[in-house]
Amino acid sequence: MNFAPVIAVGELQPVFAWLYGLLQSIGLEGTLLTVVMYAGLGGTVFGVLCVLALFLVWWERKIAGHIQQRFGPMRNGWHGWYQTLADAVKLLQKEDVLVDTRDRPVFFWAPVIGFVAAFAAYVVMPFGKGLIVADLNIGILYIMAVTTFTVISLLMAGWGSNNKYALLGGMRSAAQVVSYEVPMVVSILTVILYTGSLSMVDIVESQSGLFFNWFIFRIPFGPIAFITYITAATAEANRTPFDIPEAEQELVAGFNVEYSGMKFAMFFLAEFINMFTVSAIAVTLFLGGWQGLSFLPSWLWFLGKTLMVVLLLMLFRWTYPRLRVDQLMEFAWKILVPITFANLIIAGWFKWAGWYW
Amino acid sequence: MMGEIRTQEFIVNMGPHHPSTHGVCRLMLTMDGEKVMKVEPYIGYLHRALEKICENRTYHQCIPILDRFEYVTAMSCNYTFALAAEKLAQIEVPERAEYLRVIMLELNRIASHLIFFGTTAMDLGALTPFLYALREREYIMDLFEMTCGQRLTYNYIRIGGVAKDIPAEFVPQCREAIKIIGKKVPEYEGLLNENPIWKARTIGVGVLPPELAVAYAASGPILRASGVKYDLRRDDPYSIYDKFEFDIPTRPNGDVFDRYILRLEEIKQSIRIIGQALEGLPEGDIKAKVPLKFKPPAGEVYSRIENSRGELGVYILSDGTDKPVRVKTRGGSYNHLQLIPEIGTDCLIADLVAIFASFDVIMPEVDR
Amino acid sequence: MTTEQLKDYIASRFPVMMTLLETGRREPMYEVKAGQLLEVCRALRDDETLKFNYLCNIGAVDTQERLEIVYSIASVPNRLRLDFKVVLPREGASIESVQEIWPAANWYEREMWELYGVDVKAHDNLKRFLLPDDWDKGHPMRKDWDDPDFVRFPEIE
Repeated sequence: MNFAPVIAVGELQPVFAWLYGLLQSIGLEGTLLTVVMYAGLGGTVFGVLCVLALFLVWWERKIAGHIQQRFGPMRNGWHGWYQTLADAVKLLQKEDVLVDTRDRPVFFWAPVIGFVAAFAAYVVMPFGKGLIVADLNIGILYIMAVTTFTVISLLMAGWGSNNKYALLGGMRSAAQVVSYEVPMVVSILTVILYTGSLSMVDIVESQSGLFFNWFIFRIPFGPIAFITYITAATAEANRTPFDIPEAEQELVAGFNVEYSGMKFAMFFLAEFINMFTVSAIAVTLFLGGWQGLSFLPSWLWFLGKTLMVVLLLMLFRWTYPRLRVDQLMEFAWKILVPITFANLIIAGWFKWAGWYW
Repeated sequence: MMGEIRTQEFIVNMGPHHPSTHGVCRLMLTMDGEKVMKVEPYIGYLHRALEKICENRTYHQCIPILDRFEYVTAMSCNYTFALAAEKLAQIEVPERAEYLRVIMLELNRIASHLIFFGTTAMDLGALTPFLYALREREYIMDLFEMTCGQRLTYNYIRIGGVAKDIPAEFVPQCREAIKIIGKKVPEYEGLLNENPIWKARTIGVGVLPPELAVAYAASGPILRASGVKYDLRRDDPYSIYDKFEFDIPTRPNGDVFDRYILRLEEIKQSIRIIGQALEGLPEGDIKAKVPLKFKPPAGEVYSRIENSRGELGVYILSDGTDKPVRVKTRGGSYNHLQLIPEIGTDCLIADLVAIFASFDVIMPEVDR
Repeated sequence: MTTEQLKDYIASRFPVMMTLLETGRREPMYEVKAGQLLEVCRALRDDETLKFNYLCNIGAVDTQERLEIVYSIASVPNRLRLDFKVVLPREGASIESVQEIWPAANWYEREMWELYGVDVKAHDNLKRFLLPDDWDKGHPMRKDWDDPDFVRFPEIE
């Protein structure tokens, strides 16, 4: 059982220990063994997230349906549970319609980068007690850096399509994501100030105990930091009311107007993964991560809390109209940025004075 | 060597197939980034030569053709043509028929405004109100289906009266429907009126000054939202509208928000009219005696009514035979679309979408 | 102002330029000479008692002998309505644009130029818009227009 230092897999340890033994018995050892184990772990995370994304698509459709006084998908299985699976299969076998005037490499790599960037964040995401692929000591910084790759993917999609609507969408998304990155990071800094660590595990560990130990309640003006974070995160994930990059009534579909088939599906799944990512970060930073009462496994707590935040984002989407592009920028720079900075300064002062528990 | 870096205006083809052009309208936009510098509407994609077809048909056969002229409020198209033909032949319409016509016209106005509410909200990114609006519209569609068997192109109002009498359960069901809609309109207002995003997107956007509105012959809710109190139901009375008590709402600013609020107000007024009409619905004939080979005396007439998109006019020239020499239709959207280049320039593309939505343009009325 | 009063006023204000027509029995219908169109329109719009500032409709009519352009105008402040027409020859029909008086006339005049072949002088944007851009089959709203695809509705008995 010397593999525990290599990979910490929490409650799944028995499974991996068995796998480790199996691989050892067929003669793998050393670096190769470690690589194979990590690949297996990565594959597991990838699989779980794909299933999750499919679920989120179905869930969004159900929620939209019920908000709009209809049922949403009902035909395939119980309440249409495998509807998105069927859609994914359909998209997989669809013809990939290509524009002749596209910029070939850019057009091809845009969805790939977006897809990879969406999944890369989960390397440091603590799904449960000990359930983390790699506990980097710069965890949250890594997430911020990697998720910003999404904007490169959108810009590439906009440029590579050689379509004016797509280009406008790409430019909009670049402006939007760059603007909203600022309040988002500053909101996160408020939490970092109190943990003193960038590691995701440390952040969760320091919120142990009951719900009043969550940072949303513990740090001064935590709710404000949470609200500003959620607002900025909605914009990061390109959700209504900040979904201007793909505003279908203005730009038809924005950056992904020329994409079809599997490439479109990759954008689509990446969008839902991104939504889950920002919610998971919100949960980890503000809502105690996987911390919870012991009658449920820790990963279930994490999943449940994250889905609640996702639900919040979905409710936004089906309730609000969309902002205009200039109002969006105004809101970011004139309202969110000052509030988050003021909040950070006040939090720093409280920390210095020791007025917190 | 690097060339000089400069910005460049570019042309975007908005339409003919675009989610927010409500049909097949094509707007050529000259844009500077997000900003619209110039708009030029191109129409004609739905041109079905309705006027030419009408010239080859008898008067009775024209009515179902004109259903397709403005299909969102097909009742008012039926009515305008019937009104023009009745004026030509000087036919007295029985009172019960007039009451039924008013009920149908106002129900259709509500249905049309509900569609406006839904599509405008959808164009501004709020997807949910559309479903709500269509849910309430369904009550009205049920009433129409019960009366004439159709849900969109009714062919119900005929020359000299209406096609057939309403069934017995119409009146109670209609009362129920307007009661439900009357309750739902405040709900819509609660959903959007005070929403800061909605206000930011609509207030002060696409301001149409009253002088411009009159010069370009804007009509209906768009004219009244600019503060001009001009409603043909009052100012050029037709049918029996003088018997009913209702207000003509106007709004001072003429922006997108005012046009939206005004239409919701009009729904309430229409509910009032329908209530009074149901109350006073007399017994009697539903149709004057009009021969199948209807030959109005030679002459010409232009009749116009107030429908949900403004002034709906029909000009008929008769030479005494059973076919009109010329039928010319005039829809409100035709003039409103002319206004787009006037007030849709120098704004953002999102504003242009909002302005287009607030004009409630439907293309069959423009292209005919 | 009632219709009768309007008729009297028009008769006194434009004794020569506007002639009451027989076809306008239901609502007054006047005829205006093509050469005096702009003058009459401007007077109708600017006259204090009339103030016809609202253009409802312009429609061209082909009666097989001649073309008629029917203008339906209204007055928003005074709640009046009036129709008048200009009679043109069928060949080489040409008329002044009334855009400068009622800007709304723009598309109506474009339409009658396109569908009836009436040349509109001083119009700022005479381009095809209802018919396809490469249309070369004449003016389809004229009565004598014909095309292999155009099938007239059969007579019913």
